Amino acid sequence: MRIHLIILLILLAFPSALRAQTGYVEVTAPGNRQLKLAIDAPHTLDAKPNVDAAKEMTSVIAFDMNMSGTASADTKDQLPLPGNITLAETDFVPWLTAGYDLLVRSEYSLKGDDLTVEFRLFDVLNRKMMTAKRYLGKARDLRRFAHSFADEILLAVTSEKGCFTTRIAFVTTQTGNKEIAVMDWDGHNFLPLTKNGSINLNPDFSPDGREVIFTTYKHGNPDLYKRALSSTTEIPVSRRKGLNITGAWSPDGSKIALALSKDGNAEIYTISKDGSNPVRLTVSPAIEVSPAWSPDGKQIAFVSDRLGKPQVFVMNTDGGNVRRLTTSGSYNVTPRWSPKGDRIAYARMQSGGFQIYTINIDGSGDTQLTSIGSNENPSWSPDGRFIAFSSKRGGPEEIYVMRSDGSGQTKVSQNKGNNGQPAWSPR
Amino acid sequence: MKRGMLSLLVALGLAALVAGGCANKEVVKSEEPVVKAEPVKVEPPKPEPPKPVEQPMPVEQPKAEPPKQEEMQAAKAVAPEANFETVYFDFDKSDLRQDARDVLYKNAEIMLKNNPDVKIQIQGNCDERGSAEYNLALGERRAKSAQQYLITLGVPADRLSIISYGKEKPAVEGHDEAAWAKNRRDDFVIVK
Repeated sequence: MRIHLIILLILLAFPSALRAQTGYVEVTAPGNRQLKLAIDAPHTLDAKPNVDAAKEMTSVIAFDMNMSGTASADTKDQLPLPGNITLAETDFVPWLTAGYDLLVRSEYSLKGDDLTVEFRLFDVLNRKMMTAKRYLGKARDLRRFAHSFADEILLAVTSEKGCFTTRIAFVTTQTGNKEIAVMDWDGHNFLPLTKNGSINLNPDFSPDGREVIFTTYKHGNPDLYKRALSSTTEIPVSRRKGLNITGAWSPDGSKIALALSKDGNAEIYTISKDGSNPVRLTVSPAIEVSPAWSPDGKQIAFVSDRLGKPQVFVMNTDGGNVRRLTTSGSYNVTPRWSPKGDRIAYARMQSGGFQIYTINIDGSGDTQLTSIGSNENPSWSPDGRFIAFSSKRGGPEEIYVMRSDGSGQTKVSQNKGNNGQPAWSPR
Repeated sequence: MKRGMLSLLVALGLAALVAGGCANKEVVKSEEPVVKAEPVKVEPPKPEPPKPVEQPMPVEQPKAEPPKQEEMQAAKAVAPEANFETVYFDFDKSDLRQDARDVLYKNAEIMLKNNPDVKIQIQGNCDERGSAEYNLALGERRAKSAQQYLITLGVPADRLSIISYGKEKPAVEGHDEAAWAKNRRDDFVIVK
């Protein structure tokens, strides 16, 4: 008993001792020394190395880990150190000397279209293997495998898995019109979804990640449609008179919250996922748009200008208990609830454009995250680590990603045209 | 007879202008009464030309779609012929300024006097500054303001439909007040 107490006291006094021992850090706690991660050049199991493939794998992991803020990652492009990637064959001394805490080693085989990759994560100081994964697939899976192992690294280091295999749906004018497209979260693998030549807006993923809803003018009126990512068929969900806009899938996938103006002016409704059974939640002569579900599905944040200017409000899913969330700023829009439920991201219009803020559910802790250029349309990553948003800081509108504290703002969209209204996929 | 109708119209218009003039003093709040008066709309159920009933169809019909865009522009091109003028708004506002009322009076005359059969779609638009999502609703409110006023001036409700393009269809490019002022507008487009 007494011994336990002493150990506890030691741990309290030297929390870093605990961390050093387990190799775990707390992502959310600021002030942790950033870990240093080395990504060794991959070994090839083939007769000849594929330099491009090897480089792509390591750069994916480095990008993911650097963006996570958990570790600063360096890739090693020179030939890997001798010895295979097993623990026994790994010489930790050079890495330790260079100040690295973590080491990723890998080996791969790429024969024709067949890809095999194995990654291992080592704790350099303690000379331990922390995690390892082997992937079998096709050449096109290479980036996904590397992203997937970056997820495992985060899991091993922070005990919370990453979201690096997720995607972002967005609106792009690459073809001249506003069309919906999808890309990996880091901007790679651009995939156009709609090609209807009309105006397409506000994509949102179903909770299973298989479908996207969006508003389209392809038949003249702003109607809500959905389509499966695996299909080219666009299925109407709500084609009611007037606006069918800002659709948001409920966390359990059974309903969609959206703004309809069929009864006179824009109000928040829920409909079943097939579009039937509309239930009106707001009753006000003002504008109500942009519903956002709390992750437990019990509350909805939305925008209303019932007090004169657009502000963010919160209500229960039955329309009751309406309260105003944002009290600073005269124009606050596009609320998005964090996956952990603790904060709401939104965009505020202030001098010269929009900036992204996050705020606690009780209205406290209102924090500005962006300040360069005009930034709007926040969308949380499913693990809550990141917020995607659109920014005009570089001229054309582009998709950026930052950590949820506003650090690490990085442009990810790579295609032509303006790119906006990002919606992050589930895991 | 025709003359009588016209003078009646003028009288109605004047009355509406006077009424509007009064309402103008409380513009800030006046949007709400306008919207509140709304539920009276009995006409809207009149559907537009039956759109092809939507059945999950393969989307690969790019041939069918682009013409649609051109159609819209073609429809737009008809508007000046009939001399419908555009109505403009203040930032984040949907109430009708005096110049907007004057324009709507002219547009009502055109509809009643010269083109008694024509139907128009009022297209509400916003400048680029507001949020895209909110602007879709604001554009609709602008279209509705004009629609209500035209009805007050005697235009049958079944000849008027509305749509909002939010900030998706700017009339002019540009990022200054001159451009913004031209984009905060209602366009009047003849529909068949």
